[in-house]
Amino acid sequence: MPQVFLPFVANSAGSPTSQRIVIDPITRIEGHLRIETQIENGRVAEAYSAAMMFRGLEIILKGRDPRDAWIYTQRICGV
Amino acid sequence: MKSDFEEKMEKQGITRRDFLKFCSVMAATLGLPAGSGRAIAQALETGPRPPIIWLEFQDCTGDSESFLREPTLINLLFDSVSLNYHETLMAPSGTLAEKSRLETIRNYAGQYICVVEGSIPTGSGGVYAMIGGRTALSIAQETCTKALATIAVGNCAWDGGLAAAAPNPTGAKGVGGALPGLSPLINLPGCPMNVVNLTATIVYFLTNNQWPALDSQGRPQFAYGQEIHENCPRHNHFEADRFVRAWGDQGHQSGWCLFMMGCKGPRTRHNCWQVKWNGGINWPIGAGHGCIGCASANFWDQPPSFYNPLPDD
Repeated sequence: MPQVFLPFVANSAGSPTSQRIVIDPITRIEGHLRIETQIENGRVAEAYSAAMMFRGLEIILKGRDPRDAWIYTQRICGV
Repeated sequence: MKSDFEEKMEKQGITRRDFLKFCSVMAATLGLPAGSGRAIAQALETGPRPPIIWLEFQDCTGDSESFLREPTLINLLFDSVSLNYHETLMAPSGTLAEKSRLETIRNYAGQYICVVEGSIPTGSGGVYAMIGGRTALSIAQETCTKALATIAVGNCAWDGGLAAAAPNPTGAKGVGGALPGLSPLINLPGCPMNVVNLTATIVYFLTNNQWPALDSQGRPQFAYGQEIHENCPRHNHFEADRFVRAWGDQGHQSGWCLFMMGCKGPRTRHNCWQVKWNGGINWPIGAGHGCIGCASANFWDQPPSFYNPLPDD
């Protein structure tokens, strides 16, 4: 049976066979990531990932000079 | 006998010569007289080491990347300053990450430096940047107000930057805008900020026990006191009306002035012509592209385009 790696667990609740694990923030990546899992009998039954930051670059780009677009989109990720 | 500091440097492969060179680069960046490098060296060797909490909000991690591009500076800075919390660099995740931040706030209240990267969204109750289930604004409030000082790195942390560009969909603000009255607050705009200026700001504090003189917009005068245009290596071409008029033309190949291609150097105050980027290798104008004015307020909303020449005035 696969073992869930527990040291980084954010919060967990439920019975020993059913457990909800949230890891937020996930570090050592660019951006703000949250992972939520539902554990049933030691296995991941459901998993959700969520990006926790929004800037609306698509909205900001509307109506701008197309020559400028790269300067904005380059800043989606600086890594 | 070797001091602790010397042993640490040695372990990181930094020679005494590297160290003294670093100190004189810092003195030159800060515009201090010759010989000031010695005082800096002494302060770094013997002084206290304030912890740093590095907060990332609506960011692209470009400022962290800029920070990491200078391995020698960073090794020395890490030696003088301990980095206790940095989402992209730290090992712990989840609650353990937040625990490091809270412990640093508790154990070093009024002694740690808070570096903020990225803007703080204030629209819709701040839901556009959440870390550990909390809004960026509440984390900033908790962390910045108890710090020895807050350093806002990059344009976004200064005036909201990219996320605050029209129509500012998330109500993004810089640190100063989101936390009015926060003091001391040092702004290091630029997209990204320049690591030499961040390092020099911290080194200045460690040496003098006060922060460098700021201009009316909260930026250190040593880094934002001079216009790029008047220090530009292409300035003599501007004076002689030798302009690049199309990408790749004879003038572009000859390194002429980029004003007609939209260079914002005449409106931008920053020392990037002096400190450059990526370990002093080059800077935008040196690479043949005009300045986009990234150290200026609201530079993302310069109509009509980054490629239109500045209007006469």
